[in-house]
Amino acid sequence: MRKTIAITALLLASSALLSGCEQLKKATGGSAEVKDTAYPEQVFWGDTHLHTSNSVDAFGFGTRLDSEAALRFAKGEEVTASTGIKAKLNRPLDFLVITDHSEGIGATKALYEAPRMLISDPTLLRWHDLMHEGPKGSLQATAEILAARASNKVPAALNDEKAAVERTRKLWAEHVKIIDRYNEPGKFTAFQGFEYTLMQTGNNLHRNVIFRDGADKVGTMDPLDPSEESWPDKLWDYMDAYEKKTGGKVLAIPHNANVSNGLMFMLTEPSGGPMSAEHARRRAAHEPVVEITQIKGDSEAHPFLSPNDEFAGYGTAGWELFNLLGNIPTKKEDLPGSYVREALKRGLLIEQRTGVNPYKFGVIGSTDSHTSLTTTEENNFFGKHTGVEPSAERATAGFVPGVNSGRMNWQSLASGYAAVWATSNTRAAIFDAMMRREVYATTGTRMTVRVFGGWDFSADDLKGNWVKAGYARGVPMGGELKAGKGAPRFVISALKDPIGANLDRVQVVKGWVDKAGKAHEKVFDVVWSDMAKRKASGGKVAPVGDTIDLATATYQNTIGAPSLATVWTDPEFDPSARAFYYVRVLEIPTPTWLAYDMVKYKLKLGAEIPLKQQERAYTSPIWYNPA
Amino acid sequence: MTIKEIGRRWLKEPLVHFLIAGALVFWLLSGRAPDLGERRIVVDEMVVSGLVQRFYDSFRRPPSQDEIDGMIRDYVRDQVYYREALSLGLDQNDEVVIKRMRRKMEALAVADAEARNPSDAQLQALLDKNPANYAIDPRTSFEQIYLGADNPENRLLADARLAVLRKGGQIEAVPAPIPAQLQNAPAADISATFGDEFTLALRDLPQGQWSGPVPSGVGLHLVRVTGRSTPEKPSLTSVRQRLENDWRAAEIGKAQEKAYADMLEGYDVVIEKPKG
Repeated sequence: MRKTIAITALLLASSALLSGCEQLKKATGGSAEVKDTAYPEQVFWGDTHLHTSNSVDAFGFGTRLDSEAALRFAKGEEVTASTGIKAKLNRPLDFLVITDHSEGIGATKALYEAPRMLISDPTLLRWHDLMHEGPKGSLQATAEILAARASNKVPAALNDEKAAVERTRKLWAEHVKIIDRYNEPGKFTAFQGFEYTLMQTGNNLHRNVIFRDGADKVGTMDPLDPSEESWPDKLWDYMDAYEKKTGGKVLAIPHNANVSNGLMFMLTEPSGGPMSAEHARRRAAHEPVVEITQIKGDSEAHPFLSPNDEFAGYGTAGWELFNLLGNIPTKKEDLPGSYVREALKRGLLIEQRTGVNPYKFGVIGSTDSHTSLTTTEENNFFGKHTGVEPSAERATAGFVPGVNSGRMNWQSLASGYAAVWATSNTRAAIFDAMMRREVYATTGTRMTVRVFGGWDFSADDLKGNWVKAGYARGVPMGGELKAGKGAPRFVISALKDPIGANLDRVQVVKGWVDKAGKAHEKVFDVVWSDMAKRKASGGKVAPVGDTIDLATATYQNTIGAPSLATVWTDPEFDPSARAFYYVRVLEIPTPTWLAYDMVKYKLKLGAEIPLKQQERAYTSPIWYNPA
Repeated sequence: MTIKEIGRRWLKEPLVHFLIAGALVFWLLSGRAPDLGERRIVVDEMVVSGLVQRFYDSFRRPPSQDEIDGMIRDYVRDQVYYREALSLGLDQNDEVVIKRMRRKMEALAVADAEARNPSDAQLQALLDKNPANYAIDPRTSFEQIYLGADNPENRLLADARLAVLRKGGQIEAVPAPIPAQLQNAPAADISATFGDEFTLALRDLPQGQWSGPVPSGVGLHLVRVTGRSTPEKPSLTSVRQRLENDWRAAEIGKAQEKAYADMLEGYDVVIEKPKG
C-alpha cells in the first residue's frame, strides 16, 4: 500500500505542475457593487504591514503560516499559529496589506525546501541544515542571514541569481492571485503590496509599498529588490514606471524611523547639501503616509527632543540605542531625523526655504508582525516573530532569542493599527483616503477620533451635525488650512474603543517655524475627563489616576471618560508662521502584554519591565500655510 | 543542441527535481535501501553537465578540466557514501532527514488539492452544509442620540429626554464621532462602533419609535429603529469567492490528513508513557 501512495503522489505532483497555467486564467477578483458615502462616515481598521512565510526572515524565525492563513486570521477566523497555539482576533480587521520583503522573497523557504544535494554553497548548506534542526537552529540561521545581509555577504546563490528572479516571479504571480481571491469589496479589503527593505549598513530606511489595484495590473511587474540601493530614488522610479505602464496607483509608507540613525527624515540631500525643491516634491508625492508606531517601537516623539512633553518616550526604550541591526549606536544628533514630530517640524523648515514640504505626511500604525498574525491586543499578543509567540519564557528573552540582538523582547510593543476615514471599505476608497492623509494611528486599540480645522467653528457646532459642517467649512485630518480670519479653530471629538479603556485626555501637538527660521513645538491639553476636578496647574493637567490590579492584570473604567469633545482655538496663533497641528488621545492606564503574561504564566519580572501604559492615538496633522 | 545542453536544460526542469525527489521518497518509504542493482555508478554526460552547471552557478566561470575531474571524483564519493549510508540505515533517526522527508511528502500530498477547481455542485454543497457561515448579515437602519457615559445620573436624565422625543421634541446629543443615523448597516459594522451588546439590544427594539436608554460599549443611547431587512439567503453567486477559498482550504487540509491517515494505516503505533 505504501508504494501505491508514493506513486500516486508523484503522478499527482506532475499533473499539478501542468494544470497551474489553467488556474491562472481562472483567477477572479471581487466585483460586488459597493456604494460610497458622500463623505467618510466610518473609520476602517487595518494593518498595512504584515509578514508571512514568504519573508526571508519570517520563515527563518519559524513562521510556517502563508498569506492565506494571514488573510483568514485578519478576517476573524481561527488559525493555528506556527507554534501550535490556536489564534483568533477578538474583532476582525477591515483591511490587510501583506508586505513580504521583496528581496529574496521566498528565498529562505526555497533554501529550506531545496534538495540538500543540490546546494553547493557551504554557507547555504549550513543555513539549510540549521533550519532543519528545529526552531533554535532556524533562529540561528536567520540571525546569520540578517548579519550577512547587513555586511553584503549573502552568497550570490541565495539572492540575485536568475533562479531567484524566476522564483520571485512564480511566487509573486501566485501571491497576487491569492490576494485577489480574498478581497471582498464592502466587507474586507486585501491590498497588493510588498516591503522594500532598504538599508544602509543596518540603518533602517524600509518602505511598505501599497497598490490600489488588483493582480491584473500588479502582476505585470516584479516586486522591486532594494539590495543594491542606499536611497529610495529607485523605488520612486519604480512607482512612476508602474503607474505609467498600468495606469494604476501606488504609494509608499516609510516605517521605523526610530532605528534609522537619523537617515529617515534628513534636512539634506542624500549626497549632502540642503534638500532641493525637486527632491522634496518627489518624496511628498510618493510617500503621503508614515508608519508612526509598531512592535519595534514608537517613533512619535523622544524625550530628548521634547523635554516638556511628559508623554513623549512611549515605546522608545531599547529602540533609541542602536540602528535596526544593532551594529551602529544612535548618537544624540541622529535623533531629530528619527522621530515623526521632529520630521514634521523639519518639513516646515524646508518648505520655508524651498516652497515644498517633503514631510507633509499623515500617520498610521501597523504591526510589522512576522508571524502571519496581525495582533495588537495586549491580552492576545503573538509577538514580533514566531520565536516569541506566547510562552513563559518570552517576557525575559532577547528580541531574537539565543542571539545577541542588543534588545530585549519586553521592549516589543503590542502595536499598532491603521485607522482610515474612507467612504467605503474598498481598495479605491481606502487608498484614496491614505493619499489625502485622512488617516490616524493607534497603538493597537480602536479609539475613534475626528478632527476638523477651520476659521469659523464655534462650540455651538458640536450641537448639530458637526461632521457635515466640518467638511463644508473646514478640512479634516491630513488637510491644509489656507489663511483665514482670526485664529484657527479645531472641532475635535474622541470616543473610547467599545471594548476598551476610557479616555484620559485629548491633546493638540502644535509645531511652527518663527521669523528667525527656528522650529518650535508645544503640547496643549485641550479636553480631559473630570475637568472640574483635574485643574491644570503650571500648564499641566493632573494625572488621571490608575485602576490597574497587577495581580489579575485588569483595570476598571471608573476613571476617565468614554468620550471627549471640544472646539479648540489656538491661543498663540501667529498668522505669519507656518504651522501644523495634530491630535493625540491618551487612554487611562491599562496593563501591557507583559502584565498579562506575568499573570498567565505566574512570572516574577524585573522592575525594568513595563507593566502599565497609556495607549494612544495620533492623528495626521492639519497644516497652516500663511498667505 | 548538443546532448550536454539538453542534459543541462533537463536537469533544471522543476519536474525533474520533483521526480528525483519523489524517487528518493519512494525508496525511503519502501523501508529499505534502494536496489543497488549491479552496484554500478554511472557518471554519464548528463551527470557531468549538471556538475559543470552547478560550478558555473557558484563561481560564474566554466570549470577547468582538473576541476571537472575533481567534481567527478567527489560525485562518485558522494554516491558511494550515500548508498552505503542508506544500506546501513544511517538515514534513520536523523532529525534533519526525517523532517525533510516529511515536508516533501506533505508538499506532494497537497500539490494537487491546491490546483484543483471546485464545481458549482461542490460549492453549493458546501453552502448548504454551513448556510450560517455565509448568511448575509441582516441590516438595520436606525437613529441614535448619544447620552454619554453609562452612569446613574445619565440614566435618570434619559427617561425625561425620551419623553421629550416621544412627544416630537428635540434633544441635544453628547458630541461623539459616531453617526446620528445609519442606513442598512450590517451587524458587524454596528458592533465595530457600538459593541456587540448594543447590536443585540437593537434586535428587540420596536420599529419607528424612540426607546432606551440602550447601553453600548461607549455609553448610553436613545434609539429609533427605522427599518430592518429580512435576512437574505446567500446564493452561490453572491458568496462564490468565499466558498471557493474555503473549499480549497478544506481540500488542502483533507488531502494532508488523508495522505497521513492512509500511511498511518500501515503502522502499529505503540505509545508507552513513562509511569508516575
